[in-house]
Amino acid sequence: MPVSGAMDRWASHAANRMVGNPDDAAVFEWALTGGRLQFDRDVVAAIRGPGVSVTHAVRAGEELVLPRPAVGRFLYLAVAGGLDTPVILGSRSTYLPAGLGHAIKTGDRIPIGSLPTTGATTPADEPRYASGAVRVLEGPQRHLFTDDVWDQLQRTEWKVSRASDRMGYRLEGEAPLAAPAADLPSEAACVGAIQVPPDGLPIVLMADGPTVGGYPKIAVVISADLPILAQRPPGRAVRFTEVSMDEAQAALRALSGA
Amino acid sequence: MIFPRVIPLGDRALTITWPGGISAKTHRWVRGLLSKVEKLADVEDLVPAYTTLTIFYNPAQVDYQTLSRRVNAILKSAPVDAATLAGREVRIPVIYDGADLEDVAKRTGLSTDAVIALHSERWYDVYLVGFAPGWAYLGELDPSLALPRRASPRPRVPRGAVAIADRQTGVYPFAVPGGWHLIGRTGTVMFDTSQGALLRVGDRVRFEPVR
Repeated sequence: MPVSGAMDRWASHAANRMVGNPDDAAVFEWALTGGRLQFDRDVVAAIRGPGVSVTHAVRAGEELVLPRPAVGRFLYLAVAGGLDTPVILGSRSTYLPAGLGHAIKTGDRIPIGSLPTTGATTPADEPRYASGAVRVLEGPQRHLFTDDVWDQLQRTEWKVSRASDRMGYRLEGEAPLAAPAADLPSEAACVGAIQVPPDGLPIVLMADGPTVGGYPKIAVVISADLPILAQRPPGRAVRFTEVSMDEAQAALRALSGA
Repeated sequence: MIFPRVIPLGDRALTITWPGGISAKTHRWVRGLLSKVEKLADVEDLVPAYTTLTIFYNPAQVDYQTLSRRVNAILKSAPVDAATLAGREVRIPVIYDGADLEDVAKRTGLSTDAVIALHSERWYDVYLVGFAPGWAYLGELDPSLALPRRASPRPRVPRGAVAIADRQTGVYPFAVPGGWHLIGRTGTVMFDTSQGALLRVGDRVRFEPVR
């Protein structure tokens, strides 16, 4: 099974902390558009995402407007007590390709959970969503690519393709990367892995990405920067820069809530 | 045993890779190591594949350097033996009436009865579970049945289709696009939401013809 769950784990954890939930309580995720929710009881809810950090005390019967993401791609709504959607294989995540859960549509009713809440906190510093390079580690097949291609990966201003979804972000660049001809027996993939298929246009695997694959993985996005990449809307630019394992681990420790 | 390479897969997983490509012997080493690392602390998920074992860990609890040292110590301490990995024997009833059965027979120069016999009269190892939830790559298929994938994949292969490609066989757990040759179908549920995947690496599988 894929990892699934929130595309921007930092924002979903932060939204949960703002209402006193455990980090991994189920939340609403929406992308590129907005909506409205009506509650049939009094709730405390928080919306978090790039440039958005707001807590609402909503009365029974009131409507809450879910804004369209303005800066990034995804926003999250946490409700105190969590969402009481079905637990499948230890997870409340929706995973559409296997028909686990479904996308929310007009008229749906979603039960609110009764998770114990603690003191609400507001994580202050959000990841540097809009600026800066996305940091990567060398991937397990880095050695199959030339040093020139490795430089090209970091020199190129890639564009997040419109053909990008929760499974993977396709990238478009000035010139494709020269992919190795080697045939690779299928092996584990991971969220953040940058695969290079024979056409040389990289694909970054995201939360609903495949668990295994045979394309060579030139690099892997560090966990601390996955929220930054996830929040890049289609058509926006992204650059990559290499870091060491020590730097990746330090960045993850520094990003509370990751 | 040939000593494998241990390298990071990002900052929350490491992959152990044996050189030399796909073979039954390499996969015994993969399964053997799997049995030895199952009880390692701080491990979140294990993904065995043809020539690799990937260990997903919680980076808040353990770092790459520590875990790779532990894995290397296990690799050095004793030869890994697949026999210590408890697997099950799973029998899957098959109605051999697949859309490609005649075509497979024609292209391999065999009768359809011979295709069915060669497919059903052997035990298969589960090499890898992945791609789609519940999809298990089973091997190895009799070499006389080995055919390359279809030139053009079908947009929709029905759930439960039993298929072959190269030296592999498998069962489609859902209706998905697919390029393997369909030789039969089964009612056996390969994935459900309460149990997860039916098959795990270490299991052995046999297909039983149903008339």
